[in-house]
Amino acid sequence: MSGHEHWADSAGAYVLEAMPPDEREAFEAHLTTCAACREEVEELRPAAAALPMASPPMLPPPGLKDRIMAEVEREASLVAQPGEGADRPRPRRRARLTMLTGWRLAPVAAGLLIAGVLVGAMVGRGAGSHSVEASVMVPGASAEVRVDGDQGTLVAARLPAPPRGRVYEIWVMSKGSKAPRPTSVLFVPRGDGSAVAAIPGDVSDVHQVLVTDEPRGGSESPTGRLLVSATMS
Amino acid sequence: MGLDLRSLADEEVIQLVRRGDARAFEVIYERHSPAAFSLAYRMMGTRAGAEDVTQDAFLSMWRSGARYDRARGSVRTWVLGIVHHRAIDALRRVMVHDRRRTGDEGIEERFESEVRTDVEAARREEAGTVRVALESLPSDQSQVIELAYFGGFTHTEIADMLDAPVGTVKGRMRLGLKKMRAQLGEGRVAV
Repeated sequence: MSGHEHWADSAGAYVLEAMPPDEREAFEAHLTTCAACREEVEELRPAAAALPMASPPMLPPPGLKDRIMAEVEREASLVAQPGEGADRPRPRRRARLTMLTGWRLAPVAAGLLIAGVLVGAMVGRGAGSHSVEASVMVPGASAEVRVDGDQGTLVAARLPAPPRGRVYEIWVMSKGSKAPRPTSVLFVPRGDGSAVAAIPGDVSDVHQVLVTDEPRGGSESPTGRLLVSATMS
Repeated sequence: MGLDLRSLADEEVIQLVRRGDARAFEVIYERHSPAAFSLAYRMMGTRAGAEDVTQDAFLSMWRSGARYDRARGSVRTWVLGIVHHRAIDALRRVMVHDRRRTGDEGIEERFESEVRTDVEAARREEAGTVRVALESLPSDQSQVIELAYFGGFTHTEIADMLDAPVGTVKGRMRLGLKKMRAQLGEGRVAV
């Protein structure tokens, strides 16, 4: 099914993002071997890229910029913090095994729980601000949640890139809750594996912060591999 | 004394964003958020949906360290590509029959951005060229292109909707884009 005949006429659907994920992946594999399809994709791509200009022009509400910049500045201040390396969580102080209960772990995640590094330590507790060290299931990677008042920010280092076609999603589990709640935060680490992401809402009632890999648009309940887990209380 | 970020080209500003410069990111937001929001509104059909998509898209650009690749087009194309992805993801999370393409606000609330600079005037002109190119296609071709690009529907969903073979739908997409490409080339749109 990888011959050119099978894919003739597909370039348009591809540049319009109108292919289902499986077909898109198969077509991308075909593109690596078919110069004719590659040429056609390059020919059609500018037409698809021009389509947004056909939208009636509108101004975003001013409040949107304020919300976005508030998150950006909060995260930028952590990246720019002097001292220990803002995008590098502090070294772990102690480790203890912990059980993640009350939500469905993917089978792969269960395996990783055994093989991975399980750490849950609270460090740097100060007046109004402290850091909670997280368990990271990948050797060499590290993460913590920095809490300032009722605001929390995930700061991670040396995270691997998520699997192809997937992104990382942050989940929160409230005290007394048995299932994690999705947040709107989907992210891909920077090239050096660092990531800083503000956790939306008030974290004072949050028992656990979790990160899994999910399909590109995120999920309503976890489907992927558990990567990070921070027990807040 | 300080660097005047607003005098820099997008490609230079992006380098600063990559290093975690929030002010540089603000410049990118100011330059491209009107186009981003317009696209998001066109796709989502509601102001709230458009705000969510625009916010998610810009924060993901920031968090990924602005993984912009100059070889793949302008910063604007990159930004709008991310918005498009995010909107498609949001639309595909919703059941097809729940989708509404009509807006939730009256026309009076769809306030247009003002033309303030030569750059914006040029963009307005280009936008007109793109609209003409799209509208001048045979309706069966513009229809599948709009359903796919702005509606976030897959070719199989469109084929079901129109009761047409998938191959026909794909063919119309390809042919329509080919004609648009030729027309935009003639109109010298910066694509």
